[in-house]
Amino acid sequence: MTRTWRRAGFTSLAILLTLGSALLFLACGGGEDAGPGAGTEDAAARAGAAGGIPVKAAFVYVSPVGDAGWTLAHDGGRQAIDELPWVETAYTEAVPEGAEAERTINQYVRNGYNLIFTTSFGYMDPTINVAKSNPEVTFMHCSGFKTADNVGTYFGRMYQPRYLSGVIAGKMTESGKVGYVAAHPIPEVIRGINAFTLGVRSVNPEAKVHVVWTQTWYDPAKEREAAESLLDIGADVITQHQDTPAPQQAAEKRGHYSIGYNSDMTSFAPKAHLTAPVWDWSVVYKKVAEEVRDGTWSSGQYWGGLEDGVVGLAPYSDLVPQEVRDLVEAKKAEIVSGSWDVFTGPINDQAGAAMVADGESMSDEDMLGMTAFVEGVVGNVPG
Amino acid sequence: MPMRLELRLERSRKLEYLVPVVSVALALLVCGVLLLATGTNPVSAYAEMFTEAFGTSYGFAEVLVKATPLILCGLGVMLAFKMLFWNIGAEGQLHMGAWAATAVVMTGWDGSAWLMIPAMMFAAAVGGGLWALIPAYLKVKLNCNEIITTLLMNYVAILWVAHFIYGPWKDPVSFGFPMTRQFPDGAQLMRFGDSRVHLGLLFALVAAIVLYLVQEKSRWGFEIGVTGGNPAAARYAGMNAGRNMILVMLMSGGLAGLAGMAEVSGIQLKLLKDISPHAAPYGYTAIIIAWLARRNPWGVVLVSLLMGGLYVGGETVQITMKLPVNIVLIIQALILFFVLGGDILSRYRLVYRRGVSHSPPSGGTPSAPPRGDGEVLGGG
Amino acid sequence: MTKARVAVSMEGIVKRFPGVIANDRVDLELLEGEIHTLLGENGAGKSTLMNVLTGIYRADEGTLAVRGTPVQLRTPKDAIDLGIGMVHQSFKLVQTHTVTENIVLGLGRGLAPVKLSEAEEKVRELSERYGLQVDPGARIWQLSIGEQQRVEILKILFRGARILLLDEPTAVLTPQEADELFVTLKAMRAKGHAIVFISHKLDEVMAISDRITVLRGGKNVGTVRTRDTDPQDLSNLMVGREIRFERFPGEEVRGDEILEVVELSASNDRGLEALKEISFTVSAGEILGFAGVAGNGQEELAEVITGLRTPTDGSIRLKGRDMTGASPKQVIDAGVSYVPADRHGVATVGDLSLTHNSVLRRYREKKFARGPFLHLAAAVDYARRLIKEFNIMTPGEGTAVRTLSGGNLQKVILAREITTHHELLVVMSATRGLDVGATEYVRETLDEHRKKGAAIVLISEDLEELLSLSDRIAVLFHGEVMGILDAEGADIETLGLMMAGRKLAEAS
Repeated sequence: MTRTWRRAGFTSLAILLTLGSALLFLACGGGEDAGPGAGTEDAAARAGAAGGIPVKAAFVYVSPVGDAGWTLAHDGGRQAIDELPWVETAYTEAVPEGAEAERTINQYVRNGYNLIFTTSFGYMDPTINVAKSNPEVTFMHCSGFKTADNVGTYFGRMYQPRYLSGVIAGKMTESGKVGYVAAHPIPEVIRGINAFTLGVRSVNPEAKVHVVWTQTWYDPAKEREAAESLLDIGADVITQHQDTPAPQQAAEKRGHYSIGYNSDMTSFAPKAHLTAPVWDWSVVYKKVAEEVRDGTWSSGQYWGGLEDGVVGLAPYSDLVPQEVRDLVEAKKAEIVSGSWDVFTGPINDQAGAAMVADGESMSDEDMLGMTAFVEGVVGNVPG
Repeated sequence: MPMRLELRLERSRKLEYLVPVVSVALALLVCGVLLLATGTNPVSAYAEMFTEAFGTSYGFAEVLVKATPLILCGLGVMLAFKMLFWNIGAEGQLHMGAWAATAVVMTGWDGSAWLMIPAMMFAAAVGGGLWALIPAYLKVKLNCNEIITTLLMNYVAILWVAHFIYGPWKDPVSFGFPMTRQFPDGAQLMRFGDSRVHLGLLFALVAAIVLYLVQEKSRWGFEIGVTGGNPAAARYAGMNAGRNMILVMLMSGGLAGLAGMAEVSGIQLKLLKDISPHAAPYGYTAIIIAWLARRNPWGVVLVSLLMGGLYVGGETVQITMKLPVNIVLIIQALILFFVLGGDILSRYRLVYRRGVSHSPPSGGTPSAPPRGDGEVLGGG
Repeated sequence: MTKARVAVSMEGIVKRFPGVIANDRVDLELLEGEIHTLLGENGAGKSTLMNVLTGIYRADEGTLAVRGTPVQLRTPKDAIDLGIGMVHQSFKLVQTHTVTENIVLGLGRGLAPVKLSEAEEKVRELSERYGLQVDPGARIWQLSIGEQQRVEILKILFRGARILLLDEPTAVLTPQEADELFVTLKAMRAKGHAIVFISHKLDEVMAISDRITVLRGGKNVGTVRTRDTDPQDLSNLMVGREIRFERFPGEEVRGDEILEVVELSASNDRGLEALKEISFTVSAGEILGFAGVAGNGQEELAEVITGLRTPTDGSIRLKGRDMTGASPKQVIDAGVSYVPADRHGVATVGDLSLTHNSVLRRYREKKFARGPFLHLAAAVDYARRLIKEFNIMTPGEGTAVRTLSGGNLQKVILAREITTHHELLVVMSATRGLDVGATEYVRETLDEHRKKGAAIVLISEDLEELLSLSDRIAVLFHGEVMGILDAEGADIETLGLMMAGRKLAEAS
């Protein structure tokens, strides 16, 4: 037995050694690639021309760029700044959240990137950790709450276009039941559901928003099933928080309406898609890149809304009547002007108790830590 | 022309060494073609991967970080496989270990590491072990298929952890985000120098030594080897397979549980979702590792390092050479594919004729050479 | 019967496996409308011959003709197309599917799927025509073993089989189920089917078959009409009329009584009664042989004595100590050595070294232990000693035993069991498949061992071996002991009759 087992050991060793020597051999033969840092001089020259520090910006993405959702929206922003002559960009897709991400972030630092955008909540602690030992690098973390001298956060008031899309849903529903395919029960998602519900009920006070949780960000099959379960109970408008268009397609298949998210999902469900609350990160990325170039960047928490254009509504489809468009545009103008915001009282919770008193507005802090549903939502927050 | 596999009556010694070598070389070759197709020079890509993972101190430290949970889970899976218990549940056992270790912290205890770390280790090993005990018991008592039970229990464990981080253990100052508060200093595993390499690596290496002694030197390990090699012979030799299966699974799950503890206490420093990466979860990768390691503890260590190197190197080429994300997974899959394929070809030969003599009846698994008289099904 | 057409004719079939000729110029003729029994000991070449006929093996020499036309069978499908179907001992059914689904499994081709309702109707019709009662809609797991066997028969009938081969079909059946099977077989015979029936059970063979072909050592030693023969002739044919052997003289003086078995009963793996109230004793310095046609309870007897099977009734005492229902480990500790019939499947672990296999049942002993560890050096020494003393041909003690020849593997097992301190040695089919030299060596070893005062239970289908080695011979039939007689001067015809089910009192 010992012998056969020992032989197995040799075999494993052989695997390793083979791979090792193969790679060594290859290493010796492969020198023609310029490797990391290529083009740095170019960028420097161009930046010099513009005045300031050349910007090498890296993006850490949670899913593949082709996800049609969250990451696609961020990559749109990246492409916008990549066109600037003094900016060079790079990205890594599908980086696991949690401590695994630390390595990827560190790799960018080690490869000379001086501005790093980490675009998912789960990158918060890794970003802070890497930032600690690399004070010369600027970090921007999307959707989190921890900052440091060289770590800022950025996010958008997605609840504002959510509310507007809710107004459309409230006008379009005939059954009075609107379906919401929810992702993970975190404040961002709950806030979106609440804002949407307030929008729906602002024009249709009896309507209800039915919520089904998938506990996923990206799982087409599961998200389609969730949408179908909502359609089964009579929902005739479907919206969602995930990165796939599966719920949109489910709604179209049943001949009902849908409202997308993240990016314009019209092409996936042309006969159902009404509009979608969408991101435009180029606004943030341009501003930050300029600040870093000019050395004027300082840490802070950016939470922009409709007025900045970081969030907005995708173009209305022909299915949305003019009368509804006018209503939505009016509400939008109100928000942009700052005279009114979504979470302004009176707002009741699911039990009918007051959440925000009449005439009062919810603080940013309360909005960011929102964990309970408002009146009109059917469903529970798990956990 | 129909093909079929025929058992080699004698296994060639030369083949056993040659096959893995050729397999890996072929895998690299095929990946090379793939890389070329995506417009990358495979030579520089491999060079970059290798030098980053094994040629820089930062890279190698990260390889060690990555290898730590893989070694622990891999050893656990290997031990179970040794006894032909197909433990697909290391992922769940890892989660239960992480959960149990966190439970120690969640009592509010903020003591010295000298007390907290051993308590957490113990809790994790018990958590993972007991989780593994359930399918073992079901197998021994009711002959439930352990592949199904261990696999399904993974989902239960992951949701169990999710319940706690979304619910009772959620950090009150995390704005509702699903994670526990950061562990106190006493509950964090010591790290070596500036690197993220932590004490968990030591657990892994000690576990490898212990398993080596158990497997190769101890009488109990002999029982496991016999049971795995021929269960009927184990019974004939008076071994208690049921008891051994329970013990093996306690150890197997305990090791995976320790991996979970090492991850939360050494790397994440809190319990959250995704303690095991989505794309290649530790508990599942461990199955590949146990296979490639040919059920040898040192093999597990080596293959885990290789896997860690593949990840770290793969991430590097993503960044420096802007390669698509899936390249690591493809290379990993191809190496496994070729090595497993090679393993089969070293034991069976491919035959292109039909109706070949002295091969087992069609449909049967080619497991034993026919007895001299060919009465494979003979009664009596 | 006068103008019966020939269904199959096999002439001069030769099939070789490495080192063995499994079929040696075998002729076999099957007629339409006959039940033809193939009789022979394990290893006589029955299964090989049937595998040739069903296209699983290809004969090295010889010709095969089906209904007068010479054919070449390359795959099992070729055989099915010619209307040849086999019911194997182990069923090949999908437990969660229905009877009809199992029957049509694999029949649909491309664009012409099987219509289940039509198939079900046909299954129903077939089952009525042949008296194979089974519900076409039932799921396999709901059926008894007998019903599952009917599904297997229906499966080949559905495919149009006119020539049916049944490999020991009654081995798994209760007597009632066997009777029902015989009704079916007769119905099929009446419809002109040719049926090959493989069995060890002489009474069944006499009851059901029209003709009987006996194979021995791969050769056809005779085809006879059932009405012209009797069980005694058959058993003589099976074991060989002229047994030539030299007796090892037993010991004059027997020692203490070692094993005492009283009214022992046990069930087989199917839960059917395999041993019925068996009683016997074995003393030190004595070999008690157990004769019998395979499948008459021999394996169960060995397993019950060695603790691998729990008896349902009766008692086993070893040197006066009650060992009834003891675990295998307790039996080993009490000093029972055991050489099982299945050398690869039970007695050794192929992938482990000779060293490890040599301590397979001894690793708990102080001698081979160092605390919790195995004392490998001691095991290596021991293995080397065995290699030397028993002249085992191997490159070394580190070699995996999988690579050893049958004879050398048997030497390893025998060496291990004999050199282990023991009170009783149970040996089963010790020389099956071994060449002449190895056989002689094993027998001499057992004889020497007896001379040293060992008590030995020797279970074998080889009468020659039993007659040459045993002091006394017990004959097993249907799990019962037909009688125990002194081997010295034992009458082979008497033994043959006992193997066919006559009690000693009636036979002699």
